[in-house]
Amino acid sequence: MRLFQRQSRTVLFIGFGGLLALMVFAGVDGLRVLRRMQDRSGSIQREFLERGRVLNQIRSDVYLSGTYARDYLLDPGRSAADRSKTELRRLRREMDATLANYAQLMRPEEREPLEGLRRNLNEYWQALDPVLLWGADQRRGSGYAFVRDVVIPRRRAMLSLADEIDEVNRRQVSTGNARLTDLFSEFRYRLIVTLMLTLALGSLLAVFATRRILALESQTTSQYTEVTEARGQLRSLSARLVKTQEEERRALSRELHDEVGQSLSAILVGLSNLVGATPAEVRSLVEREAAPLRRLVEGNVRTVRNLTLLLRPSMLDDLGLIPALEWQGREASRHSGLRVDISAEAVSDELPEELKTCVYRVVQEALTNVARHAEAQSVRIVVQQETARLLLSIQDDGRGFDIARSKGLGLLGMEERVRGMTGSLHVRSETGMGTLISVVLPLRTHPRGNE
Amino acid sequence: MSTIRILLADDHNVMRRGLSALLERQEGFSVVAEAADGREAVELALAVKPEVVVIDIAMPNLNGIEAARRIHEKRPETAIVILSMHADEGYVLRALNAGARGYLLKDSPEEDLIRAIRAAHAGKAFFSPEISRMLAEDYMRQMRQRGVEDSYELLTPREREVLQMLAEGNSNKDLATKLGLSLYTVETHRANVLEKLNLHSSAEMILYAVRKGIVT
Ligand SMILES: Nc1ncnc2c1ncn2[C@@H]1O[C@H](COP(=O)(O)OP(=O)(O)OP(=O)(O)O)[C@@H](O)[C@H]1O
Ligand SMILES: [Mg+2]
Repeated sequence: MRLFQRQSRTVLFIGFGGLLALMVFAGVDGLRVLRRMQDRSGSIQREFLERGRVLNQIRSDVYLSGTYARDYLLDPGRSAADRSKTELRRLRREMDATLANYAQLMRPEEREPLEGLRRNLNEYWQALDPVLLWGADQRRGSGYAFVRDVVIPRRRAMLSLADEIDEVNRRQVSTGNARLTDLFSEFRYRLIVTLMLTLALGSLLAVFATRRILALESQTTSQYTEVTEARGQLRSLSARLVKTQEEERRALSRELHDEVGQSLSAILVGLSNLVGATPAEVRSLVEREAAPLRRLVEGNVRTVRNLTLLLRPSMLDDLGLIPALEWQGREASRHSGLRVDISAEAVSDELPEELKTCVYRVVQEALTNVARHAEAQSVRIVVQQETARLLLSIQDDGRGFDIARSKGLGLLGMEERVRGMTGSLHVRSETGMGTLISVVLPLRTHPRGNE
Repeated sequence: MSTIRILLADDHNVMRRGLSALLERQEGFSVVAEAADGREAVELALAVKPEVVVIDIAMPNLNGIEAARRIHEKRPETAIVILSMHADEGYVLRALNAGARGYLLKDSPEEDLIRAIRAAHAGKAFFSPEISRMLAEDYMRQMRQRGVEDSYELLTPREREVLQMLAEGNSNKDLATKLGLSLYTVETHRANVLEKLNLHSSAEMILYAVRKGIVT
């Protein structure tokens, strides 16, 4: 049992712990993957924009250089030609820098078009170098042809290379997106796996816990039944005990009355006869001897009578319940000066033996308590018979008591007796308010002690 | 004085013989029959027709009170004295209701038994002094506790006279003769007494008289 308990505790610990860990792991992992996806998509975006910007720069520089070259060649003014020439030189430096810059961002797929671009650019600049040394006449003579045959075709070629690079860049973005999708599907896969694991573990745990709970429940039920049975047995035992005690008392009482009491009475009569039969001359002598004996026997007769009544009042059997209660009331009144009123309504002479005894004993204990504890002036006892039950109440006007606090053998015994007859007993009392004991006894059911 | 013929009923042999010897010793008493149980007592009482029956309550077959009731039903002229261990009003009332005239405790002294038999034979009630005293005391205490005035005060002198004579064992006819009244008047007085004292039978009236010490 103990071992079983420890085992199941371990299993539950591991089960719930595992489940929790799995959930935490799934959460953290999911967050991490999401963060990575976000980073990745951000960097792709950023790179794309950066390259686009650089390419555009190159493209516009190519245009610009064409424009300056044309201005330089076709513009007749000297100062304008010089300005264009400086611009061209500046552009060349700038473009070299931009290209070098781009080379750092470059991906392997871009190497070829970029090399082409660089080569073209070099050739362009090399073709342009000697032209920059041209004088005004030479520019006027062959400027136009140079623009048409060299500048424009080169520029076109360079632009188309830039487009190519741009194309590569775009492709690059979609590859990045594809990789993102891969990442996402990997994430989904992992999510599904953890979910499945969680589900499986959870189900296992649920099955285990349910079985344990059901086992515990059936255990509790069986224990409850056991306890109820034990209580029932206890009760029937105590009912039987009460009954046996009552029977014993009655037997003892009869024996005392019929044997001892009668014999003592006979002895008294015998003593009288003895004295009466003695000759007159010694009679006073015998009388003197007989007198203490007679007193002794008389005392014994009284003792036996009281004992008999205490054990089991013969009135209960000879006269019935109410006369027995009335006798009890008078006795209590004689001994303690209490005023005892007894009222009986429709109480039959033919009440079952055990019922009479029960009522009698309850009243006896109640009256004893009143005399001993209540400091009451009067007690009222009511017995009332209805079709299916007998009602009994004993009410005093004494000082009352705290029911919850004091419960001695007397009150418990009363309850036990009444319950043994499948009846119910209620005590109502408050300090200063007197005490009311009310009893309900069913008339037809058999007492439990008989089962 | 003629002898009083007595039937003695007690299941205890030694007791019965002792009583018999005791009674036989008295002048004017004669134990004419002895019974060991209630049924035998009834049979013998009807067969032997004693004037007085002295009967124990606790007896097998039929208890003394029941036996007394049957004897009284068949031969109401028989005077019955109950012997009992019980000094209780309940038993006394029961005995009186059964038609007994005397109620005696078993440990009473010899003289009380003799007086009881003489009284019963003379048609009067007799109780052990212990019992009379107890009844009177209980009654007084009850009156005191309840703080009620004794309704005896409500009775007219004539009614008191009637009560006493009836309780002493006189019949209505005896009263009519002794008081020089008509039977009807006596009956009216008796009914008034019962009414005023809230009593319901001759037995209760006798008990009341004992309680009040009107008779002993
Ligand atoms: N009528 C009453 N008025 C005031 N107090 C009472 C009354 N009945 C019971 N009690 C209180 O309840 C207590 C328990 O009563 P109970 O009869 O169970 O035991 P007990 O009388 O003390 O002992 P015993 O076992 O001898 O009867 C008493 O000690 C008393 O204090
Ligand atoms: Mg008690």
